[in-house]
Order: sequence, then structure tokens, then C-alpha cells
Amino acid sequence: MKTLSAVALACATLLAPALHASDWKPTRAIEYIAPANPGGGWDTLVRTTSAVIQAEGLADRNLAPINIPGGGGAVAWAQIARDNRNDHKIFATSPPIILVPLAGTSRFNHQDFTPLARLITDYSILLVHKDSPHQTANDLFAAIKANPRLSVGGGSAAGSMDHISLAGAASAAGIPAAQVNYIAFSGGGEAMTNLLGGHIEAVITGAGEAQGQLAGGQLRAIAVSAPERLQGPLAAVPTYREQGIDYTFDIWRGVMGPKNMRPEAVRYYEQLFSRMMETDSWREATERLGWLDAWQDSATFGEFLDQQQDQFRSVLAELGLLR
Amino acid sequence: MDALNNLMFGFGIALDPINLMYVFIGVFAGTLIGMLPGLGPISALALMIPITFNLPPATGLILMAGVYYGAIFGGSTSSILLNAPGVAGTVATSFDGYPMARQGKAGKALAIAAYASFIGGTLSILGLMLIAPLLSKVAVSFGPTEYFALMVLGLTAVVSLSDKSLIKGLIAAVLGMMISIVGMDLQTGTERYTFGTLQLIEGIDFLVVALGIFALAEVFYMLLNPQRKNTPRNQIGSLKLSGAEVKEIAAPIGRSSILGFFTGVLPGAGATIGSFLGYSMEKRLAKDGNTFGKGNIKGVAAPEAANNAACGGSFVPLLTLGVPGSGTTAVLLGALLVMGVTPGPMMLEQRPEVFWGVIASMYVGNLFLLVLNLPLIPYIARILDAPRPLLLSLILIFCMVGVYGISFNTFDLVMLLIFGLIGLAMRLYGFPAAPLILGLILGALMEESMRRALQISGGDWSIFLSKPIALTLLLLAALSLLLPLLRKLRRNRQQPL
Repeated sequence: MKTLSAVALACATLLAPALHASDWKPTRAIEYIAPANPGGGWDTLVRTTSAVIQAEGLADRNLAPINIPGGGGAVAWAQIARDNRNDHKIFATSPPIILVPLAGTSRFNHQDFTPLARLITDYSILLVHKDSPHQTANDLFAAIKANPRLSVGGGSAAGSMDHISLAGAASAAGIPAAQVNYIAFSGGGEAMTNLLGGHIEAVITGAGEAQGQLAGGQLRAIAVSAPERLQGPLAAVPTYREQGIDYTFDIWRGVMGPKNMRPEAVRYYEQLFSRMMETDSWREATERLGWLDAWQDSATFGEFLDQQQDQFRSVLAELGLLR
Repeated sequence: MDALNNLMFGFGIALDPINLMYVFIGVFAGTLIGMLPGLGPISALALMIPITFNLPPATGLILMAGVYYGAIFGGSTSSILLNAPGVAGTVATSFDGYPMARQGKAGKALAIAAYASFIGGTLSILGLMLIAPLLSKVAVSFGPTEYFALMVLGLTAVVSLSDKSLIKGLIAAVLGMMISIVGMDLQTGTERYTFGTLQLIEGIDFLVVALGIFALAEVFYMLLNPQRKNTPRNQIGSLKLSGAEVKEIAAPIGRSSILGFFTGVLPGAGATIGSFLGYSMEKRLAKDGNTFGKGNIKGVAAPEAANNAACGGSFVPLLTLGVPGSGTTAVLLGALLVMGVTPGPMMLEQRPEVFWGVIASMYVGNLFLLVLNLPLIPYIARILDAPRPLLLSLILIFCMVGVYGISFNTFDLVMLLIFGLIGLAMRLYGFPAAPLILGLILGALMEESMRRALQISGGDWSIFLSKPIALTLLLLAALSLLLPLLRKLRRNRQQPL
């Protein structure tokens, strides 16, 4: 009986490629890399998505989360880039895959990898202290124009996500991007603590990260970088566009693989993640984490990344940080 | 009375059999992880996130908090026995703990560490319970200017940490500060001293330096001095403390617990800085300060009380402000968010069961740790009985596994070796290692804070003198440098008579 089924299985495996030329299935565990230490945005994405996929039994093989920290992602990218054509390796990605190479600290950029899918997005939010005189984004930018020393804190290094988001908004509001006094803190939480203590004038950070603080009522949000108002607890926060500043900024997150991944494998991952996003466990997880679905398939994601690169390049050039 | 009612409510949650089991699992796993050099609470907590996914938030946080303070509790073991700090917060414990072990008093050192950890931990929970909301205001009042002043005050400890030659101590401290500069600069995005290597962009991990300078250097040193006898067999020594010894360490434990707690409350400071401050404070206050570093029991008690208290203190900004003060609490914050709890000002009202349940579970957990650790001491200390070749290889393996576990990168193993050789050279030429570590942990925060403060003030240095907290701290720093000098001058003037 056992032999019989084994023979049947062998036949099926032999026949399968002929019957479904486009079908590809993983033959071993899939390495799922977070290019950073545990605890950050990439790590949360990897651990949440793999947990949902596992719980719903969507993948044919295990997704094994792996942390490769270093170089703001560059260490992991260098390793993955060497692993050309490996169909069993994927990694979490977000704007740094474009920003870090533009700043000159990674030899590899998004074009050295295969975009698989964009999954979610968060938006930037501009915060002030509840007693601050600034009621709108325009108030704040006008004050900065009058007094360029006013400091705005953010949770990442100069030239990285928060700084770019702020500089882009300032630029759209008619202030030279380099004129904003950006103070880099080592996390959005630290920046918000400094705002609470009145050490800085405003803070730019991720909307999801700010929710807890905003609920406390000590801080006030004056603009969000989404194209339309957000749902839920942040529905009262106006967008830049509503305030006459034509500007949006996405903190998108998605999944990529090594270069030259075979098209069948790309299809497989596209389907895997699109099915994951339809499950209840996923809906539950995104609600908890304040993520917004922002699905794009491989091809659309690739085009989107090219546009992002153009946009970031011009902001970095304005800041004098392009290398 | 309100706090008491809340605590009763919390104990109702913490003493639930399921939660009790998770407290036990947490502290047990934590102690083990803490004992292994290098393997810190951060990676352990990250591994637990998938487990907590399916638990109620209170239970999940009880488990993870247990791992965290359990690791700090257990971290002293390898500092004392092997001179290899188990977690970053227990580096200072090895200054006197390891000499004690070499003198055949390993049992006593471990027992003191356990008692001090227990008291420091318990006092900090009291603080967390009674004054957490109040303290969050203090934490918020510390901006870049105040942090800079605090770091300057911390650095004056170099004077007390360099035993023979102040010049050599200062050189070591400067070397430590130079190591802290390596990596990408936050304010400009510029790479400094990375020599184009990707692995150095995020800087050099503190544990790589600490394990190299202490543990690996010790292995090399023992290899160079084969005639020196290792701790003889069966000299673990008694665990019992005499009445005089209890009296001697009581005040240092109390003071260091308070100091450690407040250090923990400040985001970014944490257990490592707390233990160093506790150690150097006691060294200055002690009449027998010159025996610190040679196996003084107060030198074990102070940092152990301080680091465990700091661990409790670090829950203040996490739970009341939603701000992680350290890498470990950042992972905790992430886990809480995944579980659907947003820590912050609203947490006390929205999720009291999580807040009070965790606090009550910490009392229970600390008790577990004490009961769990004390009887185990004779067995764990037996590692010193191992033949020397085996012991040395064991230390080597622990260090390498621990360092590899930080980044899963062989590059860090090379760095470990380099720092081992630097540590050996420092020992051979009489440079103290403690100031280097102090410079390393304080240097980064000091530079970052100074540059942030100056950027906020538009380059105006008077910002450091115009803020009362900063000014007070700077004056204290100046005092602690000048007082010993004045005392020396006076003594010199008196001598010719």
C-alpha cells in the first residue's frame, strides 16, 4: 500500500511540471528575513505575516523568520543579493531599501531584487504639544519660516524616513527643505517624550506609533500624510492636502526576493500573500497594529518603487544628502 | 489605600494558576538565558512573541517581564564565576564578584548577588507601584541638555574606577568613547570610522566589547600564566553571611536600589548605566574604597541591587508613557502592540488588569527567583571545579556563541578576538578595563545629547547653564572632580609640617 502510494506520488511529481507548467511550490522551508534586530517595523511585519500564514495553513512549507541586523538593512541586502535565483528566500522591505542606497551606504538598491508584493502602509503624522500655539500644519511651517531655529524631532537618522517625510512636506509648503531644523532621535518614542517635555517644537513620526500618545491627550496631531483622512481614532486629523499643501507620504511595507527569481515562484508568493490578506486573522492583526492594507502585485510594486526612488532622490538632493 | 486595593486586584490576576505557571516559566527561562554570556533578554523575548500571540495580554506580559528581570537576575552568575558578563547590566558585578570567586568565595558572591537582586527588584516594584505616574513627569523633564549633564556626572566615575593611575584610567575611558563613535552618526547620516564595512554602520555592540575585554582577555591571560593556580577544588565557600557582613551591605543595597531605580526610569539610561553608577557611588562612599575591585562584598551588592532596580524602573516609561527606554523594553512594547495593548497614559484606565497584574506578578517572580537561585548556587558554582583546559574552552565557546547570537554574523567574532587582544594588552600594561566600558556606554549618549542640545539651541552653549536640572548635575560633576583634588592639596600642605 505504501509502495503503491509512493509510486503514485512519484508519477504525479513527474507529470506535474508537464501538466501545470506555471505551478511552483516550495520544496523546503522558506527563509523569511527581517533585515534588522527584533522589535522594529520589519521584524513585526515578518513575525506577524508568518504567524498569520502558519495559523491559516496557507503555505506548503514553513516560513522561518530570520533576523539579519546591520547597516540599516545593508548587511542583509548584501547577503540576499549574493543569493541570486534562490526561490526559497524572501525579505521584508520598506522605504529604506531606496533611501539607504541613495545616501550611499548600500551598494544594492531595489532594482537588485525582485519585488513580490506591497502589503501595508502607514502614514507620517505631525504632532505638537497640546498647549502649542500651532493649530495647523501651515501655522507650524509659517513659524519655521520666521524662525528657522524651531526644532522638529523625528525617530530616525538624518536623511532617513522621518526626515524625508518632513522635508518633503516643508518643501511642498514653500520652505526650502534644508531650512528645517530636524533633530534625529533614536526612535519615535524618544522623540515624543522630548515633545512632551517641551524640549522641541514638533515631532514627525508614524501614525500607528503615535496612537497611544494621542489617546493620552498630551499631544495633538496637526497633519497626516495620507491622501484622505484615516479611519478610526485618527479620523479627526486633517491631511496636508486639506490644508492646501499638496503632499502625501507613504510608509509602505512589502516583501521582496532575490534577483532573477523564477516567474512561477513570484506568482506563488503573490498568491500566498494576497490570500493571507483575505483571512480574518490578518484583519485582526492589522486592526491591532494600526496597519492599512495597501496591496500591490509584483509588477505594480516594481513601478511604484521606481517612482519612489525619483521622489526621494529629489528631496535628498535638496537636503544636500545625496551621495 | 487606593494602591493597596489595586495591588490586591493585581494579585488576584497574578496568583491565577495559569499566570503563576507563566511567571515561573518566565523567570526560569530568564535566569538560564541570563547565565549564558552574550545571549541576552532581547533575542529571548523576540523568540517568545509568537507564543504570547495566543495568550491574553496580561499573561503574555507577565511571561515576558519574567524573562526580562529573570535574565538580569541570572546574569550575575557568569560575571562572578567566569568574568564573562551574562547580560550588559551585570558587567560591573564582575569587578568584585570575579576576584571573590578566585579567592574561593564564589558561593558568598553568588548569594550576595541573589539577595541584592531580590531586594533591588522588590524595592523597584514598590516604586513602580506607588510613584510611577509621578515619575513619568520627571522622565519627561529630561531633554538632551539634561542627559548630557547626567552623562558628564556619570563619567566622573572614571576617577574612582581607575585604581592605580588616573592617567591610564583616563586613556582607557577615552578609548571607550572612541569605540562608541564608530557607526553612522544620527544627526548627519555620516559614517564614522566604519572603513567602508557594512557591519560597522550600526556601531559595535556593547557586549562584543565587554566579553572581549573581560572574558576573552582573562582566557588569554590565564594561558600566558600557566603557573597561576586556578581556584582550587571545593573552594566554593560558604553561602552564609555573617551579621557584620549583612550590616555592611545593607546600606549599599538600599542606596543603589534607589539610584538604580531612578536611572531605569530615564529612557535610554537603564540597567547598565545604573549598575556602574551604583558601583562607583559605593566605592566613593566606602571607607575601604581601595579594596574595591579586589573582592569587596559591597562591590557585588551595589551593582546587583542597582541593575535589578533599574530593570523595574524601566517599566515606568514603558507602561505610563508608552516609551521604551531600552532595546529590551522596545521589544516588549512591540509585543504588547501585537497583543492589542497600547501602553501609554491611557493604559491604567483602559487595561488595569495588565498594569496591576504585571506589577503583582513581579513580586511573585522575584520571590521565585530567590527561592530558585539560592539552592542552585552550590551546583552552578561547581563549574569552577572543571579542569582548567575544559573551563577555558567553555568560556571561549560561551563567548563565541553569545556574540554570534547578537547578529548572526562572523564579523562580530573577529571583533571579539580583537577586543580580547586589546583587553590582554591593557591587563599586561596595567590599564584598567572598567573606565573603557564606562566611556563606551556613556560616550554615545553623551555625544548624541550634546549635539541634539546644541542643534536645538542653534549652537548656543549657554543652553547647558540656563536649565536648572542640567546646571545642578554639572555642578555636582565639577564638585566630584574637585573634592578629591582639594583633599589631596590639603594633605600635601599639611605634610611638610
